[in-house]
Amino acid sequence: MAHIPDGVLSLPVLLGGGALAAGGLALGLSRLDERDIPATAILAAVFFVVSLVSVPLGPSSAHLLLSGLMGIVLGVKAIPAIFVGLLLQAVFFGFGGLTSLGVDVVDIAFPGVILGTLAAPLLARSEGFLAAVVAGAVAATAVVGTLACVALALALSSADYLPSLRVVVLTGLPLAVVEAVVTGFVVAYLKRVKPEILPFGVAGATG
Amino acid sequence: MIAVRALARRLAVATLVVATIAAGVAPAAAHRLKLFLTTEAGEIAGYAFFVGGGRPDGVDYIVADAAGREVHRGRTDEHGAFRWRPVSPADYAVTVNAGDGHWVSGTVTADRLAGPAWPTEPTSADRAEKPASPPPEPTATPATAPATPAATPPRPSGIDEDALARLVEYRVDAALERRLRPLEEAYERAEGRLRFNDVMGGIGMIVGLAGAALWASSRRRRDPEEKP
Repeated sequence: MAHIPDGVLSLPVLLGGGALAAGGLALGLSRLDERDIPATAILAAVFFVVSLVSVPLGPSSAHLLLSGLMGIVLGVKAIPAIFVGLLLQAVFFGFGGLTSLGVDVVDIAFPGVILGTLAAPLLARSEGFLAAVVAGAVAATAVVGTLACVALALALSSADYLPSLRVVVLTGLPLAVVEAVVTGFVVAYLKRVKPEILPFGVAGATG
Repeated sequence: MIAVRALARRLAVATLVVATIAAGVAPAAAHRLKLFLTTEAGEIAGYAFFVGGGRPDGVDYIVADAAGREVHRGRTDEHGAFRWRPVSPADYAVTVNAGDGHWVSGTVTADRLAGPAWPTEPTSADRAEKPASPPPEPTATPATAPATPAATPPRPSGIDEDALARLVEYRVDAALERRLRPLEEAYERAEGRLRFNDVMGGIGMIVGLAGAALWASSRRRRDPEEKP
């Protein structure tokens, strides 16, 4: 649902989304240290593949986004990763348009990045199951945020495209639950096995 | 560099875990709404489907005429299918809006909708009404009409030659429509299919980008050391 095709959004929405995405991209790239490149690339690849796998759900179909996980692990650097993933999906598979790429990047990346950054101090202090719950909450809220952004972009463009609440709830809520489970599991695993992967994994460590 | 490699290895493990979970959760693949549109005896019929599985059931479909005016709006059935008989043959655009930002549209041309189901003689009023869409008979028949009388054996008197030609054409069209439908459906499906090569190509592209970035940064780092 987060891949908005060409020709749906109005020009102001496209330009606004493009500008926001470009700003986020510049910020993410400026923070991209040499040591972050492999992690960013691998998560970009994960995002690219995982969004191709979709579940038919009721009147629509949904796919994992993992934007919450990317926001937690990569922070702002998730924006370039998601941009690359979305660009390749648009070019190879026609999932989402090229003109709406900026809006799609904002829809998917920004909620995950903002929530992941906000939750970082909390995640740094929590352990085990609690960490999983916090990470899951971040992921679920990121999905809701993405849905809200998509709805906003569509509603701003034309009232005709206003997503029906029924469809969004039917597909969005199960997706949020699945994302929460996956992200909670991964973050708790990483915290236990390899905490230095997470930007806040080791107490006292920064960045 | 060792730390980076260890990090990459751990992340690869995490990737595998995530991919396995995702594969367990999601039996189907991919995500995009597509439309199969055909005509059956003067009716517009078809269905919308998500690439990789799933049909949008109970969502709006809108039929618009050549001028973009909405002439019909309905809801798809549980198989994402719809069927509508227009009042007269003309160019129509069908749009299916899944209601969540997925949106697809296709067109049906007037000549695919024509047949004996319509008034046999298109009135001049009909022609004047739709200047954008030429009535099908004048364009379609000249190609086939000369052949038909030549092929038919000496015919009994009293049969309207034009009516016969139209009937033959209509029956042939219907038969072709029936025969081609599975082919057209297969084509639509194949076009939207996710290809493993493309997936691997995308991953390769990401690896390449990462490699290029690492290369650039390694050169940048070495330069100041080499100068002194």
